[in-house]
Amino acid sequence: MWWRSVYGKTLREGRGAIVGWGVGMGLLLLAVQATVGSVMAAPGAKQALASMTQSFRWAADPVAVTTVGGYATWKLGFTVLMMAIWPLIASARVLRGAEERGSMDVLLSVPRGRLRVALESVAAVWTSLLVMALLASLIGYLGGLSAHAAYSLVDALLYGLNLALICGVFGSLALAIGQFTERARTAAGATGGLLFAFIVLDMLHRTIPGTAWLSALSPVYYYNLSKPLVPSFGSDPWAMLLLVAISAALTGVAVALFVGRDVGSSVRLLRRTGGRPRNGVRPPAQLRDGWSLRSLYARGLATIVAPTLWWTLGIAGFAAFTIVATEQLAVQLQTLIADSPQLRLVLTAFGGGATRVNEALLGALFAFLPLLIMVFAVTQASRWAADEEEGRQDLILSTPRARHRVLLARYATVATAGLFIGLVTLAAVDATSAAVGLSLRSGHLTAAVLSIVPQCLLMAAVGYLFAGWLAAALESGLLSFLLALWFFISFIGPELGWPPVVQRLSAFYYYGTPLLDGLVVGNVLVVLGASALILAGASVRYMRKDIGRLWG
Amino acid sequence: MDPIIDVHELQKSYGRARGVSDLSFQVDEGEVFGFLGPNGAGKTTTIRLLMALLRADAGSARIAGMDSWRDSVAVKRFVGYAPGEPSLDPALTGGQILEYFAHLRGGVDRAYLRELVERFELDTSRRFRQYSTGNKRKVALVQAFMHRPRVLILDEPTSGLDPINQQEFHRLVAESREAGSTVFLSSHVLSEVEHACDRVAIIREGRLVRIGGIAELKDIKRHTVTISFARPAPAAAFEAVSGVDAVEALDDGLTLRVAVTGELDGVVKVAARYPVVTLVTHEPSLEEIFLRYYRDADDVVA
Repeated sequence: MWWRSVYGKTLREGRGAIVGWGVGMGLLLLAVQATVGSVMAAPGAKQALASMTQSFRWAADPVAVTTVGGYATWKLGFTVLMMAIWPLIASARVLRGAEERGSMDVLLSVPRGRLRVALESVAAVWTSLLVMALLASLIGYLGGLSAHAAYSLVDALLYGLNLALICGVFGSLALAIGQFTERARTAAGATGGLLFAFIVLDMLHRTIPGTAWLSALSPVYYYNLSKPLVPSFGSDPWAMLLLVAISAALTGVAVALFVGRDVGSSVRLLRRTGGRPRNGVRPPAQLRDGWSLRSLYARGLATIVAPTLWWTLGIAGFAAFTIVATEQLAVQLQTLIADSPQLRLVLTAFGGGATRVNEALLGALFAFLPLLIMVFAVTQASRWAADEEEGRQDLILSTPRARHRVLLARYATVATAGLFIGLVTLAAVDATSAAVGLSLRSGHLTAAVLSIVPQCLLMAAVGYLFAGWLAAALESGLLSFLLALWFFISFIGPELGWPPVVQRLSAFYYYGTPLLDGLVVGNVLVVLGASALILAGASVRYMRKDIGRLWG
Repeated sequence: MDPIIDVHELQKSYGRARGVSDLSFQVDEGEVFGFLGPNGAGKTTTIRLLMALLRADAGSARIAGMDSWRDSVAVKRFVGYAPGEPSLDPALTGGQILEYFAHLRGGVDRAYLRELVERFELDTSRRFRQYSTGNKRKVALVQAFMHRPRVLILDEPTSGLDPINQQEFHRLVAESREAGSTVFLSSHVLSEVEHACDRVAIIREGRLVRIGGIAELKDIKRHTVTISFARPAPAAAFEAVSGVDAVEALDDGLTLRVAVTGELDGVVKVAARYPVVTLVTHEPSLEEIFLRYYRDADDVVA
């Protein structure tokens, strides 16, 4: 069945992801709903929660948060959009990735048109996405039943559909961007950056008055217009149709470009002037030296420069945005706190125990910084695994360089990039807080920003260790799962009353709340020590392992 | 004199998949050694074991008296390697790749590097991802030769090269041998090994089946000669010739297909007695040779 068509084969490739993401997202939805009872158990908690969530509306619109569906919708907020990571990677791979691997040449040598190949590939990604969303919504519905939620099965299915539609938009975007790039990885990375930018753009109108027109440029804005789990709010069919239209338009452009261009080439927006001579005269041997060609470390650094700059822009930009958002929300919250002692208690618990409003608010926002830099580390660890898989380490290892030095040089580039991101982010938040006049303890702010660097080192070390055994795709999947698991433990664990010993299994536990509590040296040392140990393990494994794949 | 490459009872398996088994051979310094085998025979596995990219399950591989796994860094100081499927940073130009590897090797003779680039007519200004298969091979070969290594380990080095560059490669191999270097090259093309090598080892299904001087290849080399005559020629006249294994008369009554092991001289002389219209020889692939010679045998070198 799987091998009878391009559609079947592409669908087969996604079967693991369908189950993994579908069940994973369903369990997340189920778990959030399971916490509702304990969150609202205390007397007056509902009123306090309703007030408090208004102050966190930058993350998600708080609508009927005292209901099971409303709380789940608000609590999951934009984090549920991480499901878009799969379609954006899959869509970048189906056409551009196949061209990169050379398999598209063979595929197009059979009597089957390009249009059909492209459409079957896209249809398989969409089918996978819809099945994924169906699984997530069914599991979520079961969670809603046990929590006595007021929404119906149809509402749950509409929630899944809305999620599939927004994820589909980013998949289609990756497909379109892939027509302009020479590598699938570049298209996926650029789309990932746009996903992040669109999430932040959507946050603007909930934080800064008069910016709704700007947020309306983000597809996430239209996703948030439907809240099917809140029966009193319902779904916006026009918004959902608009998401379908955006996907269809992007897919149409992508497929049209693919059908019309050379296989293996990319669409050039600007034609180069000059260029190499085409009259058959070969240019003389060019053997120019450059800083990036002098060592393994320098070469690694050169390859990481572009992604580092993009990630720095995203992370520092997000951090600066959180400062502006905090300043906007602080005044409103001060008024609410004065009127509600209950809110003071809830906020204290939510923000990590601090009484200072600014730091409590910013503490919640800054919890996403380590997550972001760890995603960056996952991408870099995956590149290391892919380099080995694609044979790019063979010739490096044919030079007189010890294997562990090759690995450590490459790891050092990721560490340098992580430090650079941390320092630039610190400069950005310092400058922004000074510009908007937000009062923060500078020592705590410095600790909160620079504490993300050890998290980056830890994730990269784990990635390098996994690469000792796993193929690149499996390695990045497992790393993503681990990251989601850690986030889940820290995100849901406290509300489910999990014991500290379980919470300590998450790397986020050791990040803590430095903005509120300052630098906890012990925690930083634990992360750095674990990173060093894991890196040593990765080095030993790399020194002993067979490089590459099976050979005849 | 100790062999420069000494492989002793080398073993490597990939779970259920075959690797190499009980592989033993020696290569003397200064010789060009061919490593022949059909696809999937274990040539690349052997080469990757020599280059310490794979770790042997048992046995040893020594280069210049040093263990290729334990002393891999020291070994690689005097080894040049070209992989079977060159894979390098796609964003770098050929020139940048060569510059990078020159640095990783601690510097090379730049004049010689330029000479190699010119000899292979390599356009170093293009990015690796833009190169054809042949040009990728050229980059791999230039980086293998550029530090004038004492030992060259080359995995199917002429695959993808055009005939002119194949000739240039063979000249380079000959020069390296004259300069005292040892060349270990794998191939699945019999005539190439015959042309370039002093000695040859043949591997099949992970085991060494034959090793010896290049002259010994003649007894396994079998040509098929298809001769069309202006008038019918008797098949019996060819069957009596030394080295002829089989003669088949085709349906047109004017054409004979003659299978010959070894030299063709006798067949050509007999054919010259009749009015020949066309004479076409077909060199069998190594796979065909193996199928014929080892179909039923278990003729493994001890």
